[in-house]
Amino acid sequence: MAISSINASHEAIEARYNAVDGLYAETRDMRLLGFVLVLVSDCVLFSSFIFAYLYLRNSVPNWPPIAQGGHQLPRFDLAFATINSCVLFGSGATMHFAMESWKKLDKPAFNLWMIATIVLGIGFLCGQAYEYHNVQITWAGSTMGASFFTLTGMHGFHVLVGVIYLMVLYWQANNGVYTGSKYFGLTAGTLYWHFVDVIWVALFYLFYLM
Amino acid sequence: MTTAVLEKSIAFVFAILVGGTTSTQLARDWNSTGLDNQLTKVLLGLMAFGCLLVLLACVGVFGNG
Repeated sequence: MAISSINASHEAIEARYNAVDGLYAETRDMRLLGFVLVLVSDCVLFSSFIFAYLYLRNSVPNWPPIAQGGHQLPRFDLAFATINSCVLFGSGATMHFAMESWKKLDKPAFNLWMIATIVLGIGFLCGQAYEYHNVQITWAGSTMGASFFTLTGMHGFHVLVGVIYLMVLYWQANNGVYTGSKYFGLTAGTLYWHFVDVIWVALFYLFYLM
Repeated sequence: MTTAVLEKSIAFVFAILVGGTTSTQLARDWNSTGLDNQLTKVLLGLMAFGCLLVLLACVGVFGNG
């Protein structure tokens, strides 16, 4: 019963998705491909910094390394990072629900999930700012600090851009820019936000678990 | 109870919640087609993996911070 209702819902969504003129359908596919390529290029950017970090990490006998002053650097605060990670992953889940609500033409639920996503995104940024304030390393003091601030800073910048992007999407969705069948901007926003979440999975593992 | 234990306990509960939700959504959307849906499924799967990493970190399997 539940599976058949899910299938029926999927079919209705797919029917609406395909009920657009040929020109829009074609440009939508092209834009989607272009956006996927943007994400791939972003992936290459992060990969190059991650490989630089791994190279630096493997070029010293011990990690965390000895700082310029001669003292042993501490590990990062894992406990706080677990909470901050959950905040970001939670925002990914709420974004998924927002997209699903839009597809089902449930605008009040869409608005609620979008606001939750934006709030959680801002929460993650606040957590990151708190960690920067309390972490006992500096950008210039060691390769560990340089790698940490470069990679997490770059990720944080992506989250900040994502939060602004989500705010724009929220405004657009509530001002008639998207319809039940034409909502490519929301699809792109959802993919971008999931991508930012997934990059954090890699950074969380590299800096806090490895 | 130290702050670290409290933080990990909270993260543990949230990781189960978020990971469970993500996995459920992934299973629900498993048969959907199209490039955007396929990519979403990959990203949801990786997010669920992230929640698993958080869970393992909370119980002390990974990390020693």
